[in-house]
Amino acid sequence: MKHDWIKFPLHLIVHPYDGFWDLKFENKGKLRVAMTILLLMVVSTSLMNQFAGFLVNFNDPRYLNTLDDLMFTVLPFFLFCVANWSVTTLMEGEGKFREIVVATGYALLPMILVNLPLTFISRFMTSEETAFYWMLNSFAALWFLYLLFVGNMTIHQYTAAKAVFTLFLTVIAMGIIVFLGALALTISMDMYWFVYDVYRELIFR
Amino acid sequence: MKRKKALLLAAIISLCVLTAAPAAQAAAPYEAYTYNYYSDAVALPAPFLPERTVDGPGLGVGDFKQPNDIYVTRDGIVYILDSGNNRIIVLDDNWNVIRIIDGFDNNGTPDTFGNPNGIFVAEDGEIYVADTDKRRVVVLTEGGKLVKIVENPESEVLAENFEFAPLKVTADRADRIFVIARGVYEGIMQFDEKGEFLGYVGTIKVQPSAADRLWRWLATDAQKAQMVLFIPTEFSSLDIDRKGFVYATNIDVGSTETIKRLNPLGQDVIKRFGHYPNVGDIRYRTYGRESGPSKLTDIKVIGDGMYVVLDSNRARVFTYNDEGELLYAFGGRGTQLGVFNTPVAVEWQKDKLLVLDRGKNNIVIFKPTRFGKLVHEATALHYSGNTAAAVERWEEVLRLNSNYDIAYLGIGKSLLMAKKNKEAMEYFKLGMSRKYYSIAFKRYRREVMQEHFGTFMTTAVILIAAFAAFRIIRRVRPGRSAGHEA
Repeated sequence: MKHDWIKFPLHLIVHPYDGFWDLKFENKGKLRVAMTILLLMVVSTSLMNQFAGFLVNFNDPRYLNTLDDLMFTVLPFFLFCVANWSVTTLMEGEGKFREIVVATGYALLPMILVNLPLTFISRFMTSEETAFYWMLNSFAALWFLYLLFVGNMTIHQYTAAKAVFTLFLTVIAMGIIVFLGALALTISMDMYWFVYDVYRELIFR
Repeated sequence: MKRKKALLLAAIISLCVLTAAPAAQAAAPYEAYTYNYYSDAVALPAPFLPERTVDGPGLGVGDFKQPNDIYVTRDGIVYILDSGNNRIIVLDDNWNVIRIIDGFDNNGTPDTFGNPNGIFVAEDGEIYVADTDKRRVVVLTEGGKLVKIVENPESEVLAENFEFAPLKVTADRADRIFVIARGVYEGIMQFDEKGEFLGYVGTIKVQPSAADRLWRWLATDAQKAQMVLFIPTEFSSLDIDRKGFVYATNIDVGSTETIKRLNPLGQDVIKRFGHYPNVGDIRYRTYGRESGPSKLTDIKVIGDGMYVVLDSNRARVFTYNDEGELLYAFGGRGTQLGVFNTPVAVEWQKDKLLVLDRGKNNIVIFKPTRFGKLVHEATALHYSGNTAAAVERWEEVLRLNSNYDIAYLGIGKSLLMAKKNKEAMEYFKLGMSRKYYSIAFKRYRREVMQEHFGTFMTTAVILIAAFAAFRIIRRVRPGRSAGHEA
């Protein structure tokens, strides 16, 4: 229990090659843990938007919305997973969809571990010290990207160059999915209004 | 019966009171606003209300004809430049005609003006007229006698066929004359007390956009010759403050430096410390009627660091403080009292605001409301360093309008000076000033640290001791921790 939920994720983020290998071949990654990390990510983003110190918090409090935080964390997460799966399936990747979700979820952990305490500390910073805030913030993001890269490489058994290339393709695929989604949405809205108009024409006859 | 009458009377009185109050509110045909930290326009109580208009027949001097400029001295004497009639109407502070200057004695021959565009009156009473069509600047005494004429400037930097068509004029205490002339892009022309051309001050920088530069780079020499030159825009108006700094506006679309304050060396030293540039409107429509950025056509320095600019695009008035923060904006186009047709000049008479409307041939007099008066008083007190007295005004302002960021800042700065750092932090947060918040917070943090130094150290020592003890226990009883590892 303790091993699955605390020890292994913490081991993974500092020893990513080892960690992702165990995740894939020793079956140590748990979907439940990944989903919990994702949920914590939503919570930490929300807390950061709401409670980060005045000097570093540039959010307009009138438009802060936890549901938006939820949406803009969870949707991109699954968008990435779906896009990554679509690309890697075509590019001889060995990862299953479940493994992609788990690996991406575990990779998010440093962002939480850095951002949560940072939110607290930022309330006690003067503007000269905010440089540290931004530095640590970027550090967390880079750590996440590094884990994502290693995760991708290990899960799909790619070389480093191929992993970078697929990640790049994944971003493009994400764009395509969003575009197609928007297209489908507009078309279905048009169809809905068409049916609705026909119905109105009929009842007013 | 008696009771019924009393009731009816009470009803009538209450009705009168109820309807009278909103009537006073509805007197402004415009909405006053300022921009907050998020660049949203925030409604304000009207800082000024139109009192009345002044026109030619009302003064008994006949209709104005295309009046182009107006100047009010510190004593409240009004000079109206009635350009179409080629005359200057001088009025006292109660709007009684003192004299009309419709010509002057030019060394024995009677002379008149030719469609003059600008007027300025120095502190010693000398009248400077930019006599556009006659290509000269005429300087008259208070009584209308000729002092000197500035014409035909000569210099190497001027072209052979240069035509001097002055539009706006101002002068400093050393009788140096600053002139904005038509077709002069190099800056404001400066003349010495004898009328000799000294050179230009306040050149506007031209910044061709990246697209312009790319296009020019692609073009052939023949195409380049056909292209429009990148020339800066002309200045549109100028004024001078008591320290001899020239304030000038220009209509430069896309620039954030349309208001300039030039020091005697000609460098722009205006403060732009607001959350957004001081250029008039920062939110506007891109297409359609009254779209595009503000076109600032007149500026008036009203003292205590404040200045008013007039936007001819949307016919609005903007007042800024010395830091470049917008105090308020109001005005608009229309036919009612208080909105304008073609506003061309803005002036300040004691505490009243005057706007000359060329389209309506009249002058609108605006009287400050309680809100406007308080804002001006507080800004002036703050500018002169009397922050304690300013705070009273700011608090009153906040009672009238709790969304006024500058008032929070004013109170915060005063609290900071009084070393009430914690309260200051609160006000700076409300006023959205991160810079001052940081200063207040730094001081507050040091205060707390000094006060609780003992507590901090004790806690730290206890924590270290506890950690050390934990390590020792772990080493002494290895069996337990080894059991966990497996």
